[in-house]
Amino acid sequence: MSIAEVRNLRKEYPAFTLQDVSFSIERGRITGFIGRNGAGKTTTIKSILNLVHPDGGEINYFGLPLAGHEAEIKKRVGYSTGSVSWYPRKKIRDIVGIVSKFYETWDEEAYRRYLRLFELNEDKTPLELSEGMKVKFNLLIALSHGAEVLILDEPTSGLDPFSRDELLGVFTELKEHGVAVFFSTHITSDLEKCADDIVYISHGKIVAAMPKSGFATEYAQEGESLEDTILRMERSWEHA
Amino acid sequence: MRDILRKEMKLSTSPLSYLFILFGFMFFLPGYPVLCGAFFTTLGLFQGFQYAREANDIVFSALLPISKRDVVKGKYLFTCLIEACSLLLMLASALIRMTVLADSVVYRTNAMMNANLFALGGALLVFGLFNVIFLGGFFKTAYKLGKPFVIYCIAAFLAIFALEALHHVPGLVAVNAFGFEHFGLQLVLLLAGLAAFVILTLLSYRCACRRFERIDL
Repeated sequence: MSIAEVRNLRKEYPAFTLQDVSFSIERGRITGFIGRNGAGKTTTIKSILNLVHPDGGEINYFGLPLAGHEAEIKKRVGYSTGSVSWYPRKKIRDIVGIVSKFYETWDEEAYRRYLRLFELNEDKTPLELSEGMKVKFNLLIALSHGAEVLILDEPTSGLDPFSRDELLGVFTELKEHGVAVFFSTHITSDLEKCADDIVYISHGKIVAAMPKSGFATEYAQEGESLEDTILRMERSWEHA
Repeated sequence: MRDILRKEMKLSTSPLSYLFILFGFMFFLPGYPVLCGAFFTTLGLFQGFQYAREANDIVFSALLPISKRDVVKGKYLFTCLIEACSLLLMLASALIRMTVLADSVVYRTNAMMNANLFALGGALLVFGLFNVIFLGGFFKTAYKLGKPFVIYCIAAFLAIFALEALHHVPGLVAVNAFGFEHFGLQLVLLLAGLAAFVILTLLSYRCACRRFERIDL
């Protein structure tokens, strides 16, 4: 069952256009959103979080259009925007104390569990965190309010291999509880480890949106890994 | 709404926004343009907006489970709250000057505007200008602060200069009333300032909501 559906999303910038982006996010599945730097991943994610105003298309969550149902939808969505530093000089404890009030579903037990898992100190400020720890702090909030879908922009960038592996394990655990995870990455090994579905974007267009196994069947040549396939496809467009 | 206001108060602003409320007491200063107190209060708010921009506050707020309109409402509510606190200090100062200190020589020989109900109306006009020019201008982009603040400064000082000098215009000496002289006129001028504040703030708020909905963060 689709938790989120994006249909013909379009956003025009002077030097870049996101063209007719369509895909869906399914309950209890992990969707990897892959593409090289500048392909349109962040613009797409910002659009589906209503940070960017699209020029066209439809975005629906839980069968409701995002426009007009923004507040109720966002309560059921967790998000993380990479290593952006919010309120760099405020303590994590204070930031969380304010944010938690916005969610009736805030799960203090889950919050404490992820705090321990990510080894975050509540008395630290975002300014004192490494890039990887900032990502973990953003994820901590996203994971602590019982979200039905997580939308994460480059959650693994900046993380050491152990933390990355831990995080991908968390995704798998959440998926088993019926949570949908949609995360962008340019690291293909993240997809190989845990993704069920792949949405592949290149030059502002969706190249493929399908189960990972179907992607391999349709696009991979014999003996190719996912990374080899995507590299070959990107190079073929460059030389076209 | 309580949650977004709490966020504004605890996370989004600089301590200077609170500290500069005390400039409301400038209504006690003799021989000084008392309306500058209102300007300095808005200067504290401006510092708060600078702090918020450095803290990525707008994007953070837009990601919270509230509508974009509520993000704008939070900023306007907080701004109006600070302005109201400052105005309360001005009101207290003006009432003391209108009663206990009504015959004080230093205030009677003051070349500048007297701190009376008209001055309170003037302060409300300055706050209204801040809300319409600075706040409204800020929400055109949600990150550019300099240009709307410079335009506001020019407008505010023109208004302050005009209001402070008004009682020197022949026939308008009643605006500079002491104690409860010309109380009816003073009350009308205060209400006119209040009406200007409400109209400018509401117009600006509606415009800011429309603009903020359209911009890309």
